[in-house]
Order: sequence, then structure tokens, then C-alpha cells
Amino acid sequence: MSQTEKISYRELIINGIFKENTIFKLALSLCPSIAVTNNVRNGVLMGVAVLFVQVMVNITISLMRTFIHPRIRLPIFMLVISGWVTVTDMTMAAFAPEAYKQMGLYIQLIVAFASILARAEMFASKHTILPSMFDGIGMGAGFLLALTVISFFRELLGKGSLWGYQVIQAKPLLILILPAGGFFAVGILMAFFNWMNTKYEGRR
Amino acid sequence: MTAKDIIKITLNLVIIYVIGGIILAGIYAKTSPIMFRNAVIEKETALKKLMPEADRIEKIGDWTIHEKHAEYFVAEKDGKPIGYIIQSFGKGYSSYINTLIAVDTEFNIKKIGILGHAETPGLGDEIEADSFQGQFAGKDPEHMKVLKTDTTEYIQAISGATISSRAVAEDAVKNSLNFLRKTIQGENSGHVAN
Repeated sequence: MSQTEKISYRELIINGIFKENTIFKLALSLCPSIAVTNNVRNGVLMGVAVLFVQVMVNITISLMRTFIHPRIRLPIFMLVISGWVTVTDMTMAAFAPEAYKQMGLYIQLIVAFASILARAEMFASKHTILPSMFDGIGMGAGFLLALTVISFFRELLGKGSLWGYQVIQAKPLLILILPAGGFFAVGILMAFFNWMNTKYEGRR
Repeated sequence: MTAKDIIKITLNLVIIYVIGGIILAGIYAKTSPIMFRNAVIEKETALKKLMPEADRIEKIGDWTIHEKHAEYFVAEKDGKPIGYIIQSFGKGYSSYINTLIAVDTEFNIKKIGILGHAETPGLGDEIEADSFQGQFAGKDPEHMKVLKTDTTEYIQAISGATISSRAVAEDAVKNSLNFLRKTIQGENSGHVAN
């Protein structure tokens, strides 16, 4: 249960953003990364929602880790996750109604994100609160970064706008905001990310 | 599984349900009035935007299209009706397009607005653009026909989104105006007969 070695918080965050980036490295949660990233605002909001849920779930699970009976571990993780997702869902519906209209369905889908359950099971249930929190921040930030980058390219090249404001008076690559273009965007960025990663790691 | 395990599992679940329930109830109590207020404000501003010159907009009835419930309103200025606003739905490419149409008392279109839809981003969602919606001003239901060629008399389709354009013009707008004309004129002639 208790980890004797000291885990560096910085290391945890970097791990979430680069080494185990949910989308670019683990290729998990691709459904929202394609469905909501056709404009930057939705991409960022989705990323923030996931970041919040991931951190809160990690903290809650870590708090309860000695109290939960191992046999009902997974159902309880699901309960905690769906609880925090519902909180996010209601808050967003009240304070960002416009965005919620377009992405409400995908907010509720956060319940089924493999990455959140995986972090709860693999990390938070075995560590104390602070490391769990930083692990959540790292994983969530990695997801937020990935969604922001994907939606930036999709909106700019597909619609010629950013955050809803027209930047260029043309649509250079309309296909990028269509669902098929989502796969292209994620694939190309994933390749780029991994290429950068190997280059960086090789130098180190 | 021993009795101790069973008790512990029960206790686990009960405590989590209770705490979770309290948190959710608290947040719901805080957010639901805001959500309700948002919906009311959104509708009022949408109606105002369609008929800015009216000083009073009042609901006069309900109707259904595509098995969806919609409403219609009368817009008044200084106590006299100056037009009507009707909500309508058009069956688009991937959604029902929720539309509001403002007409004058002669049933010529003044303005239309799109309340909600889930058409293809980048193609079908051009129905929100002013260049498309502006075409409706001053036209009557007989001219609600979508053409793919240049036209000022009829409605020109958005390139790549003929289905969405048709859904707005030939489905939502045309059907609702025909309904509105029949209902309002029916009522008025009824009054005359009385």
C-alpha cells in the first residue's frame, strides 16, 4: 500500500502530459477528442471538465482507499466517477449553457472514460492524497493540452476561425471539421507528438 | 465471504450513496434555478431579436410539427397586432432544426432565427449565417423554394448543404406559415361571422 520511495510531483505531472498522454500516447478517450474538437472553445471546455473530474476522482479515491472493501472496488470507483461527472454536468449546464448545448452528451460520457478509471485503479487507490492529486493534474492537463492542440488546428484550418472569431477569410481544409477530418487531425498530431518524443528522449 | 465482509460492503455503499446524494442535491439546488432562468431569458431575447419594434409579445397557442411541440406568439405595438412569431421544426440532415419565424400581419416573412440544431459543422451550420437567413425577409410561403442556382426570388441553397437549406425553407418555414395563416385567418373570419 504505502510507497516508501518519494515521488516527485513534477515528475508526475510531466508523466501525465508527455510520457502517458491519454490521447497521443495511450490512444484512449478518442471519441470526445474527435467529437468535440471542431472548435477551440469546446475542446478547451471539454479538457477542463476532464481535468476537474480526474483530479476530484483521484482525491476522493485516495481518501477512501483504506475504507473500500476490495471486492466492490470497481463499482465504487464508477460511483465516485459518475458523481463527479454529474457535478460537472450540472455546473456546466448552468454557467455555460451555450457550450453545454453542443457538448452536453460528451460531458456525460466522461463517466466511461477508460483513462479516469485506470488512474483511479492504478494510482489513486495505492497512493496518498497529494501524489494522487498531482497525478490527476498531470493526466488531466495532458488531455486538455491534446484537445486544445487538436481543436486549434481543426478550427483554424477547417473554419478559418479561432474561439468563434473569424481569423482568416477562407476555409483552407474544410474536411478537418468533419468527423473524418477528426481522425486525420488526431492521427497526424499523434505521429508528430511521438516523433518529437523519440527525438527528445534520444537526446537525453 | 464472511458476515464481516457483508457488513463492511453494505456500510461502504450506504456511506458513499449518502455522501454522494448530499453533494449532488446541494449542487442541483444551486444550479437548477440558474438553468431555468437561462432558458427563460434565452427565449425572451430570441423573440425580442426577431421583432424588435414590438412592445409586447404574447403566446397565443401551441401546435405540433414532426411530433414536436411548438408555440406561436402575437407581437403587439401600442395594443395593436403588428405581426406573429411562430416556432417550427424542419427535418434536416442530422437533426430537427428548431426555427423561429417572424411575419407581419400579411404573413410576409420579416426575419427568421435558428434556435437549435445539430447539422454538420462547417456545412449545414451555415443556416445560422446572416447571408442565408437574410434571404427570407419579405418573402411569402409561396416563394419558399430552394434552388441551387443564383436566385433572389426564391431561396438559394447553401453550397454543400441543400438538405439543411430545404429543411429550413421548405419544411420549417413553409409549413408553419401555412398553418399560421389558416389558424389566424380562420379565427378572424370566425369573428366576422359572429
